[in-house]
Amino acid sequence: MKFIFGFLLIIGVLVIVPAVDFAFAAGDEPGKYLDRRAVIWNLFYKMMTVAFTVGSVVSGTIIWQVWRFRESHPKAKPTSYEGTDW
Amino acid sequence: MSGHSNWPEWIYVAVVIALMAWVGAEAWEAERLVEHVPADAKTIIVTGQQWFWTFEHEDGTKEIGELHVEVGKAYKFEIVSTDVNHSFNIHDYVVLIDAIPGRVNTVWFAPDKVGEHDIQCREYCGLIHYNMRGTLYVTEPLS
Repeated sequence: MKFIFGFLLIIGVLVIVPAVDFAFAAGDEPGKYLDRRAVIWNLFYKMMTVAFTVGSVVSGTIIWQVWRFRESHPKAKPTSYEGTDW
Repeated sequence: MSGHSNWPEWIYVAVVIALMAWVGAEAWEAERLVEHVPADAKTIIVTGQQWFWTFEHEDGTKEIGELHVEVGKAYKFEIVSTDVNHSFNIHDYVVLIDAIPGRVNTVWFAPDKVGEHDIQCREYCGLIHYNMRGTLYVTEPLS
C-alpha cells in the first residue's frame, strides 16, 4: 500500500498540482484580445484526442479480455467450481 | 488473494485521475480566457424577443435584425430577453449564449475580418423561431 500511495502522490505532484495551478495562474485581470474560435476549437480537438485515446484503450482492453479469457483459449484455466474434467 | 497483484489497476486509477484533472484544467483555462472581457470592450445590449433581435450600442443607437461592428475592436454583448428563452448565436465567431427573461448574460468577441455573418436564435422559442435571424456586418473602422 505504501507503494500505491507513493505512486499516487507522485502522480499528484507531477500532473494534478501543475494543472490546477495553470488554471488559477492568470487571476482576474481584464482579458486580452483573442480569437475565441481558436481557443474553443483547440479545446475541442484536445478533448477529442483524450476521448478517442481513452476509448481505444478501454475497448481494446475489453476485447483482449474477452479473447484471452474465453473458455476455448489454449491457456484457459478452469476455476474450481467449473471442475477439472475438460 | 495470494499471488495476485493489483498494481496495474492502481496505475489505471491514477492515469484516469490524472487525465480528468488535465481535461478539467484545460477546459477551465479555455473558459477563463473566453470569459475575461478586455477593458476597452464596447458594450452592446442585445434583446431577444419573439421573433427578432434588437441591438443597442453604447451611444444609444439601436438596430433591429442587423448589427454593425468594426473590425479589430472588442465588443461585449449583454443579452436579455423580454418574453421567453432565446439563444444568441453568431456561428462564425462561436458566440453562443442563452437569452433568459430576468437575467443578463454576457459574452464578448473581437471580429478580425471584414465580412457578413449570420446571427440566429438557437433555442426553440415559438412558431417563427426558424426565422429569428439577423446579420452581423463587420466593417472597417470609421475613425
